[in-house]
Formats: sequence, structure tokens, C-alpha cells
Amino acid sequence: MDAYLIAIAIVTGIYVLMALGLNLQYGLTGLINFGHVGFFCVGAYAAAILASRGWPAAATFPIAAAVAVAAAWPLGLVSLRLRDDYFAIVSLGFSEVVRLVATSERWLTNGVQGIAGIPRLFADLSGTTQALAVLALLLVLNGLAILAMRRIVASPFGRMIEAIRDNEEAVRALGKDPARFKIQVLMLGAALAGVSGAVYAHYIGFIAPEQFVPLVTFQIWMAIVMGGVGRVSGALVGSGLLMLFLEGSRFLRDLLPFVSEVEMASVRIGVVGLALILFTLYRPQGLMGDFTRR
Amino acid sequence: MTDLLELAIAGLMSGLVIGLAALAVTLVFGIARFANAATGDTMTLGAYATLGGTAATGSLIAGGAIGILAGAAAGVIAYATVFRKLERRSPVAALLASIGVGFVIRAGLGLVYGHGQQVFQLPLVRPWRVWGIRIQPTDLEIAAAALATLAAVFLILHATPIGRQMRAVADDPDLARVSGIAPRRVMIALWALAGGVAAVAGCLLGIKTVVAPEMGWDMLLPAFAAAILGGIGHPVGAVVAGVLLGIAQETATPWVGFTYKIALSFAVLLLVLLVRPRGLFGRIEGVR
Repeated sequence: MDAYLIAIAIVTGIYVLMALGLNLQYGLTGLINFGHVGFFCVGAYAAAILASRGWPAAATFPIAAAVAVAAAWPLGLVSLRLRDDYFAIVSLGFSEVVRLVATSERWLTNGVQGIAGIPRLFADLSGTTQALAVLALLLVLNGLAILAMRRIVASPFGRMIEAIRDNEEAVRALGKDPARFKIQVLMLGAALAGVSGAVYAHYIGFIAPEQFVPLVTFQIWMAIVMGGVGRVSGALVGSGLLMLFLEGSRFLRDLLPFVSEVEMASVRIGVVGLALILFTLYRPQGLMGDFTRR
Repeated sequence: MTDLLELAIAGLMSGLVIGLAALAVTLVFGIARFANAATGDTMTLGAYATLGGTAATGSLIAGGAIGILAGAAAGVIAYATVFRKLERRSPVAALLASIGVGFVIRAGLGLVYGHGQQVFQLPLVRPWRVWGIRIQPTDLEIAAAALATLAAVFLILHATPIGRQMRAVADDPDLARVSGIAPRRVMIALWALAGGVAAVAGCLLGIKTVVAPEMGWDMLLPAFAAAILGGIGHPVGAVVAGVLLGIAQETATPWVGFTYKIALSFAVLLLVLLVRPRGLFGRIEGVR
């Protein structure tokens, strides 16, 4: 039971790290990033490929972040000067192309079979201690990310990106270039997703292209839309709710044996869809959102 | 050379499907002013409804009519329950909600039909040979159905009062309103039209390949790429761009391989947005 709870906490921590990145992009800056899973995928593969060749985790984490940032930079450069909804489409396409590359470039990624036997973190510890160490690492990473987020919000950079979200025209009229800030935000968020991917690859030990479908992106969207847009607490609460829902649906399946796994997968997609619709319609600021503005 | 020509014909076929999907995207984008990500799953719905209708009535034509009705109904229901309430909000809210609508449609189809692939039971026909080029008779029928759909849409847009009103709203919503055009009726007609067109696209895709829950979602990127390449809100442009994209995808296959042909629409999308964001036929003021 303990092991199960720790495992849940670890996966939640991985989601929170991703949600914090998306919260920075969408919640604070207004970027419609529909390709978040692409950066997660890039980070996971970078870590997995290097770790399978014997690189230590101390090296794979920064490199995973760096590779995700390197993927975000050209994407932002070419598409963040466009309208918001165009960027949404382009980023969705980006994540699909990342998945295509992971599927096709077998020499690097082993294609659809994926990469198995990725070295675990803290391999010299055993059992529960090892899991707790991973959890502690995630807590530290999330803590650092939240601290950084708080510093950003309080800084001139934070005021600038919030101004871009609220009124891009006004920012432009003041002589600032919103695209430059948006690119930086995209890269920062991608770094978080990349690190999150690295933890995921090391923790699960096996990655394949099918794990990086757009549904993952929209689960994270669901988390921050439910939790509250633009709030750190929103990312935490939303990821918790997401995890509760994903695990809850698994328990529900155990209780209802006549529901097949395939049907449950459909139910999950439907619930993500309904949550996106209902929260957009009736509660755009989310559960923990800022009610003083819309 | 004949290989390339056969690829081009295959490209024309998939291009017509992309063009129809892009037409559905561009109609909504031009009039309701947001990128409707539920278009792909509406296509899937049309394909499954046609499959069910054909099995029930024994006629592919009747099945197709049922598919079109299902797509149109899905469009109108989505408008009435979701998008109507988001009209005064930012396009981003509608875009996010449309992802949700697509997921809900896909979940429903998955629950009813499962996740396996299904095929239309059509008689196998020996391909014709014209100057050494193989031509499938079913391809001609698919092309005829696609062209008939296009003709119907353009007839509705240009020769009926409701079509004229739609174009007026696309041009300038406020001017349309002060001219006495009731926006609600126009929007309902638009969503029925876009849903029906998407259903035809899905049905033709299903006949050409297989019917599967993800089939429409996978067409979303090419459809968006074609809609933007043709110029947002420009129906002729969307179809022309769709056909061009389809031919480019198929004829590029020998060089880039089967998996990467989907990436081609992403490359086209990026290139158009970089070089000419208003697309081939679009107007400058349509893009900011």
C-alpha cells in the first residue's frame, strides 16, 4: 500500500512539473501551447538514450532540459509572431512530428518498440527507500520550479508577460516586442517539461512513442484549467485532481468488471473532453483561480 | 513516370478528402472565427454513421445521407450547447472547447463501436488501365462524390439567401447585423453545413482506407494546413490547397517515406505562416 501511494505521488509530481510549465506559458503569458507533450517526449528520449549509454543521471537531466529548450527555440522563433490560435495549431503539429520522428528513426529511438531498461535513479538504494528518494528529488525539482515561478511573477519580466497576456497591443504600443518574451517563456516551460520527461523515463524505465500522444497534452490542460489558470496552487490542485481521476477510473474498472479496458479508455477521453468544455464554459478561472478578473 | 502519375492520382484522391475537411475548417474559421478542432472527430462520426446507415439500409447512398445528417446534427448540437455560449469570448476559449467536443465525440464512438478498424464492404473491382496507368473505378466514384459535395456547398454559398447571409457575416459581422441578418439562423446553417461537409470527408476517407476512431483526428493537421494555405475563410482556396497538399504528400512518399508524409503538412503549414500568412487566396485583413 505504501509503495502504491509513493508511486502515485511520484507520477503526480511528474504531472505537476509539466503543469507548472504549461501554467507559466498559458496561465501567465497566454500562450496556447497544444504541443506540451512534444517537449516532454524530447526530454524523455534524450534522458533515455543517454542513460542507456551509461551517462549518469546528473548529466541526463540538464541535457534533457537543454534539448527540450533547443526544440522550443526555433518553434517559438517561427511561430510566436503569429496569432494565438495559429500557434496552437503549429504547436500541436510540432508534438505530432516529434512522435513521428520517435517512431521512424529506429537507429536512435528503436522505433515503436521503444527503449526499455532505462537505468533507475538512485539504483544503489533498494525498494521503498529508492522510491522515496525519487519522490524527494521530485519535491526538490517542483520546489525549485515553484520558487522560480514566484520570483518570475514578482519580477519586471513577470509583469511584462502578464501584460502580454492581458493586452498584447498595449505592450507593443509601449515599444516592447512581445514575441521575444513569448519565446523565452516557451523555452522556460519546455525546460520544465523536458526535466519532467527525464524523471518519467528514469522512473518508468520504458518509453515508446505511443506514450506521447496529444491526449497527454490535453490532460495537462485539463489539470490547469480545472485547478486554476495562472496560479501555482492551481497547477498543484489540478494535477492532484487529474491523478485522482486517472487512478480512480482504474479502481472503478476493478469494481465494474463488465466495463472493458477499451471502454474505460473511451470514458477517460470523454471525461477529459467534458472537463475542458464545462470549465471553459462555466468556470474559466478554475477552482483556485483569481476571481478578481476574468 | 507512370508510377509518379499513379501516385499523383492517389494524391488527388486524398487531396479531395483533405480539401473537404479544410473546407469545413475554413467555413467555421471564416464565420464563427475560431479554429474548430472538433472537425476531425466530426469526420469520424460521419464515417461511422455512414457505415451504420449502409448496414441498416443496404444502400451506400442512403448510408451516406445518414452520415451527412449525423455530421450536420453533431455540428448544430455542438453549436447550440457549447459554441453559442462562447461567441462573446476569445477565440482561444472556443478552440479549447472544440478540443473537448472532439474528445467527447471520439469517446462516444469508442464506446459504441470499440477501437477496432472497420471497412466498407464494397465489391472488388478490377482497375482500369488507361495508357498503362491503373485507375480504380471506386476512385472515380469517390472523386465524383467529392466534386458533387463541393458543387452543392458552393451553390448554397452563392445561390441561396442563407448562403449570401453567411458570406455577409464572414465579411463583416456587425454590418451584417445592422443589415437585418439574424445571426442565429446563419450560425445554425453554418454549423449544419460544416458538419455535413466534414461527414462527407470522413465517409470518403473511410471508403478509401479504413474506419477507425482516430481517423479524423489524424486528418486534422493536414486540414488545418490546407485551410491556412488556401487563406482562412476562403472556400475555393481551402479545396485547391487541399488537393495540392494531397498530391504533394503522395508524390513525396518515394523520397521521404510513408511515415513522414504527415510531417509534410506540418512543413507546409510552417512555410505558409512564415512566408505568406494570408495563404494563396486570402485577404490581408483576414490575418493579424
